[in-house]
Amino acid sequence: MIHIQNVSKIFGDKCAVSALDLEIKVGEVIGFLGVNGAGKTTTMRMITGILKPTSGTVMVDGVDPIEHHLEATKKIGYLPENNPLYPDMKVQEYLQFIREVKKHGDLMDIAAKVGLTDVLNKKIETLSRGYRQRVGLAAALLGNPHILILDEPTSGLDPIEQDRIRELIIDLAKEKIVIFSTHILSEVEDIANRIVIINQGKKIYDGPKPKGKGAVEKLFKEKVLESDTR
Amino acid sequence: MKALIKKELGHYFNNPFGYIIVVLFAVFANFMFVKDVFVIGQVSMRQFFGLLPWIAMIFVPAVAMRALAEEKRVRTMEILQTIPLTPTQVVLGKFIALVIVCMVALALTLGLPVSLNMIGAGVGSSLYLPEVLVAYVGVVCFFAMALSVSLFVSGGTDNQVVAFLMGAIVLFILNVLGTDVINSVVPEVLDRAFTTLSPVNQLSSFIKGVLDVRSIFYFASVTSIMLFLTIMDVEKRS
Repeated sequence: MIHIQNVSKIFGDKCAVSALDLEIKVGEVIGFLGVNGAGKTTTMRMITGILKPTSGTVMVDGVDPIEHHLEATKKIGYLPENNPLYPDMKVQEYLQFIREVKKHGDLMDIAAKVGLTDVLNKKIETLSRGYRQRVGLAAALLGNPHILILDEPTSGLDPIEQDRIRELIIDLAKEKIVIFSTHILSEVEDIANRIVIINQGKKIYDGPKPKGKGAVEKLFKEKVLESDTR
Repeated sequence: MKALIKKELGHYFNNPFGYIIVVLFAVFANFMFVKDVFVIGQVSMRQFFGLLPWIAMIFVPAVAMRALAEEKRVRTMEILQTIPLTPTQVVLGKFIALVIVCMVALALTLGLPVSLNMIGAGVGSSLYLPEVLVAYVGVVCFFAMALSVSLFVSGGTDNQVVAFLMGAIVLFILNVLGTDVINSVVPEVLDRAFTTLSPVNQLSSFIKGVLDVRSIFYFASVTSIMLFLTIMDVEKRS
């Protein structure tokens, strides 16, 4: 379980996240939505322990990800925004490194699941964006974490790659907590079972995914406009 | 941490950069000594070891400049922050890998004492090998200290060129401390302090074949302090 209680994050004079409360249980797939600069990435970084909240508490399975970094990072697989990788490493070398640090996970099995078997011996810098995204996802999956945090996992991918990644996330979501952020609202309709919308650092909606085609987009626009006019 | 050390060594030795820098160091260091060895006319490596701090001033920042600066530039620090590695393991892992790279470079100069000993044997004089061994120990200590300084500087920027230049400037300042140029212009109390703090002066006892515990303590302390500051810096930037 992820427990976020009254968490705020302030950078200088900018409040990136304000008084956020969130509880996420196993089996939930959270579509984390918001306009650019709303605070999604900041929130994800606080859950993974990269950023320390200015106030409030974040607990991942009862563990503070800042105070107990080693324990928390074993539970979390994180795919950062823009998917930073080591371009001069081969795919297998990079995944082997992550696997050795996490001390757990079947590299070949994960590579097969994500569709990287044919490119294991290639340097990351020679891969297309879609394949690099798969490398990032494979690295997040190594160690068999039961929480997956994916920051815009299909950003910049072509429609076919987007479908592949989406199917993979749906498959993984059966046994893990998944939090993913995206600007592609149809993805949320396909994958998520709960939606959290954040705007200007504040949570403006937290509830089940609305039913019907286009309902997520309608809800998102409604809530963001409502929040902007308040 | 072993996985991190392996990865770091891979960055240097799976790419031309590592080989170029190590070979350039070895060629330059060997040449600077060999060009004068017959002029000096002594079977001694003291001049070679005396040159190394000045060569290290360029070589060490060149090796260390990418260690943290590049991670920050391409944002791969986020990867290191979200896998089960503490900031201490990250910094120490990188430091150990850098020390190994420097030791490979130093190993390429081992031909010098062997050759000098053979030449010396031909003229009835031989190299005093224990002195050479102690000198190499001192040089490794010096390089470790220089690497810890350069690693700290690399953590302060996301630009490798800035990391290199800052590292070279700091090492230059440390090298000139305690030299006659500085000693002649500062008050006596500062002169004594600079002489004690000067890594070149601390290395000089090793070069003479003396394993001075105070010098070992000096290098160990400076290295530890710089690594500690680097770890604090990495933690703070999180």
